Amino acid sequence: MQKEYLGEFEELVLTMVGILQEEAYGNAIVSEIKERVGRVVNLSAVHVTLYRLEDKGYVKSGMGGATNARGGRRKRIFTVTNAGLAMLRARKEQQMQLWKLVPQLKMVGY
Amino acid sequence: MKEKEPPRLAVKFLHWFCPPELAEGIEGDLVEQFEGDLQQMNERAAKRKFFWNTLNFFRPAIILRNRFRFQLIENFMIGNYFKVALRNMKKRKLYSFINAFGLSVGIAFCVLIYLFIQDERSFDQFHGNKNLIYRMEARTFDTWKPKAEEPFSQHAWLQTALVNALKDDLAEVEYASRFNSNGDAVFKFDDKVFTEQISYVDPDFFKMFSFRLLKGNVNALFKKRSDMVITPAVAKKYFGDEDPVGKIVTVDVEGVKTFSIAGVIEAPPTNSSLDFRILVSQENRPYYENNLKQWGNFNTPTFVQLVPHTDFGKLNANLDKLITKYMGEKLEKWKKESAIPVPPGVKMLEYKYTQLPEMHLKKEITWHKVSDPKYSYILGSIAILILIIACINYVSLALTTSASRKTEVGIRKVVGAHRNQLIYQFGFESLLLAALAMVAAFGLVALFLPSFNEFTGKGIELHVKNLGPVMAASAAITLFVGIVAGSYPSLFLSNFRPAAVLKGNFTSKFQAGFVRPLVVVQFFLSASLIISSVIMYRQMNFIATKNLGYNQNQVLVVPTQRGWNKESNKAVAQFRNALMQEPEVQTVAGTSTSFNRGYSRYGYKIDGEQRSAYVYAVDPYYLQALEIQLTQGRNFSEQIPADSNAVIVNEALVKDMKWTDPLNAYLNWKEDTVGMGARVIGVVKDYNFTSLESNVEPLFLSMDKKDIGYLTNMMIKINSQDIPNLIEKIRGHWKQLYPDLPFDYTFLDEDVAKQYHAYEKWMSIMGLSTGFAIMISCLGLFGLAGINSVNRTKEIGIRKVMGAGLRSIFVLLNKQFVWLALIAFSLATPLSWYLMNNWWLKDFKYQVTIGWELFVGSMLCGLVVALLTVSYHAIKTALVNPADTLKYE
Repeated sequence: MQKEYLGEFEELVLTMVGILQEEAYGNAIVSEIKERVGRVVNLSAVHVTLYRLEDKGYVKSGMGGATNARGGRRKRIFTVTNAGLAMLRARKEQQMQLWKLVPQLKMVGY
Repeated sequence: MKEKEPPRLAVKFLHWFCPPELAEGIEGDLVEQFEGDLQQMNERAAKRKFFWNTLNFFRPAIILRNRFRFQLIENFMIGNYFKVALRNMKKRKLYSFINAFGLSVGIAFCVLIYLFIQDERSFDQFHGNKNLIYRMEARTFDTWKPKAEEPFSQHAWLQTALVNALKDDLAEVEYASRFNSNGDAVFKFDDKVFTEQISYVDPDFFKMFSFRLLKGNVNALFKKRSDMVITPAVAKKYFGDEDPVGKIVTVDVEGVKTFSIAGVIEAPPTNSSLDFRILVSQENRPYYENNLKQWGNFNTPTFVQLVPHTDFGKLNANLDKLITKYMGEKLEKWKKESAIPVPPGVKMLEYKYTQLPEMHLKKEITWHKVSDPKYSYILGSIAILILIIACINYVSLALTTSASRKTEVGIRKVVGAHRNQLIYQFGFESLLLAALAMVAAFGLVALFLPSFNEFTGKGIELHVKNLGPVMAASAAITLFVGIVAGSYPSLFLSNFRPAAVLKGNFTSKFQAGFVRPLVVVQFFLSASLIISSVIMYRQMNFIATKNLGYNQNQVLVVPTQRGWNKESNKAVAQFRNALMQEPEVQTVAGTSTSFNRGYSRYGYKIDGEQRSAYVYAVDPYYLQALEIQLTQGRNFSEQIPADSNAVIVNEALVKDMKWTDPLNAYLNWKEDTVGMGARVIGVVKDYNFTSLESNVEPLFLSMDKKDIGYLTNMMIKINSQDIPNLIEKIRGHWKQLYPDLPFDYTFLDEDVAKQYHAYEKWMSIMGLSTGFAIMISCLGLFGLAGINSVNRTKEIGIRKVMGAGLRSIFVLLNKQFVWLALIAFSLATPLSWYLMNNWWLKDFKYQVTIGWELFVGSMLCGLVVALLTVSYHAIKTALVNPADTLKYE
């Protein structure tokens, strides 16, 4: 199988989907990113990324229940798939391994 | 609560472009954001934000999502598509050839035009300081010829002393240089004597412009008056392989001066507005000292380099100040003396400027290399026309041959192909063909580039540097063609219902409803091109054969090479005496200017009215040499001293002055307050001394050396069967008399014809493209006729069995094409007539009359060509034995 590649923003959105669990939909992700990372992102960018992640099989989506808050429109709720979770885990390990290879600043005393 | 709703329009828009399965989720998120925004900002801002957010979703990733769901399958079908496409091309070689040929010619044309436009836009772009260098211009109020619509005239000619004033008075100007190009001069080194074109510039020239100095020191150049900088070609011509620096040469412009070569400069590229071969400093320009004092004489183009970040408002103010300082009094005087009243508040003189790279396409201001952007448009539209004709070929052939693909489409659909896949497949086929055509187009471009350069007067070359963009451009054109030509056939073909096509009772005669209008469009385009080229050809023919009122044949024009002085007049007489020994030389006349070599025009006030006339200094042999007819009075005579103050006028001047008895009239062109002016001794019939773009204007001839000028050109009327031999003899006389001067000559008829060079050029381009357009559309028609007759084979067989004759079948098969051609021609006639009248013919004051016979003629020609093309198939089908076609029924 072709090796899949995950972009930085894709990874961020995927992580947020993981964090938010049942409440992972477009707007929630935008505000979550703002809150946790301090980055203002565009709603449309988040949507496009979510659909791309869905194409790659890392998330799946379904329509949530109707509420009064959004003019009665239902939410499209995203959940991380097993493949997505595996991907996130693999990324984390990869990064940790790479991080270990970076020479750390050490205090050398005489 | 109503005002809290998000804007309806945006929601509608979202639903329009968004795939339905995504719409609800997206809309919900947007609404939620909108509700959040309402807490923080006013309603209008929130609505605006809603719009903006909605617009952000308008992107391919959303719009096209799930529209191409067969992406994956298609990728592995490509091999199959490729194979099928190649098989189809092989199966029908003729149609594939017609398509590929048409498309490749169309693409090649487009690439050539692209190169042309690219070259036009690249003018003067190679200068490092291109954005800081400006050409100065003067905008003057025209007190001369009252033109209601445009009382100002703008030109690039400026005062000689302006350059110093600019540098001294304006802080914004860093460098400034004048540039007078291409003055004729006799250039001499050892025994090599030639006429050369000399350009006069200032030392700053070398600092401003990026022409590379190959030898010499930028800072020292033109410190001395005698410094000269030449291009390598000139160095090679005079000094061979020796080092030119330090060589001493002599140059004769209004007197002999010596120069020493101080530097060698790279020749300007063809896309440079400034061209030169030999540069000397401005002080060497004839009458330089005198011009320096004359703020009323506009005679030198000036370029400035501004300091970076110049404030143009301030610059304009400073330029106005400069005008007041140097010319204030003079302008007031002009204002008072103006023939027409100067409206208050009008500036008599204003300085303008144009950035260097823009001057090439600024056609309002005369410059010897200026170009009209109109030509880029015309060429572009011709290329697009040809491309459209080729695309139509593809579409109509694809539609009419679609019968043969019906089984394939049916089977593919039955096996499970989605319609999108079939569209994709046929699109792929047309792209493949377009790509093949592109390869052929490259060959055509390489083949035609030299002649294209010749037609357009350009020096475009294909080299590594511009190959990349050319490739990209042609790939883009190819992609475009593939998509445009392929889209309709692929939609049409993929629409077959498998049940219908596979059942077998499918007639091969498709309803070609869409093909006919296409053929009409194609014919219409070709017909417009045909009519336009015929009109052009007729006009050029008219001009070439029109009686100009003088005989321009067998006249040699030889400059005296002596400059503007008495010596020239003496030389004419001397050379005439020498040539009288030659029986083949009929007359030698002297004149101040030959035709198409500039002119002089004098303005004068008579009885309070402003008038002007063209003036030529001549001698008594002039009328005889050019066979100009005198209608009244007599020619000049050397025996009558008073003739030096007499004039011969043309009929236009008589009319302009409203003289009833011209031979007793006086033309007071010197505005002499004491005398009556010059006596009119003769009237000549009007002759076209300027190009046929203008009417015959008032003109007078004079022998007045002091006020009109000297005879700087000889017109040698010859009558010879062996012209080259005679010219050698004349050259022999010249070398004997003036061994130090070059012998240059031109033929008068060629000089006159050169006036129409630009028109000739456009006529050949039109002719060439018309040829190609006709060829491509005829090929398409040929293919179409072939398919048409194949489709009707059975019908014709039955008709023949029933007793139809050869002729009636021929008529039956050709009737529709004749109709299509007639419709196309009747549409094309008014359009091309309008275009030609408004665009091309209006430049000429003398126009060929366009009668109905011209249109009928071109229509008949077009019809004959179309009939010839289609009748091959018609005759072939009509001759087939009905037994062969009907035996299977």
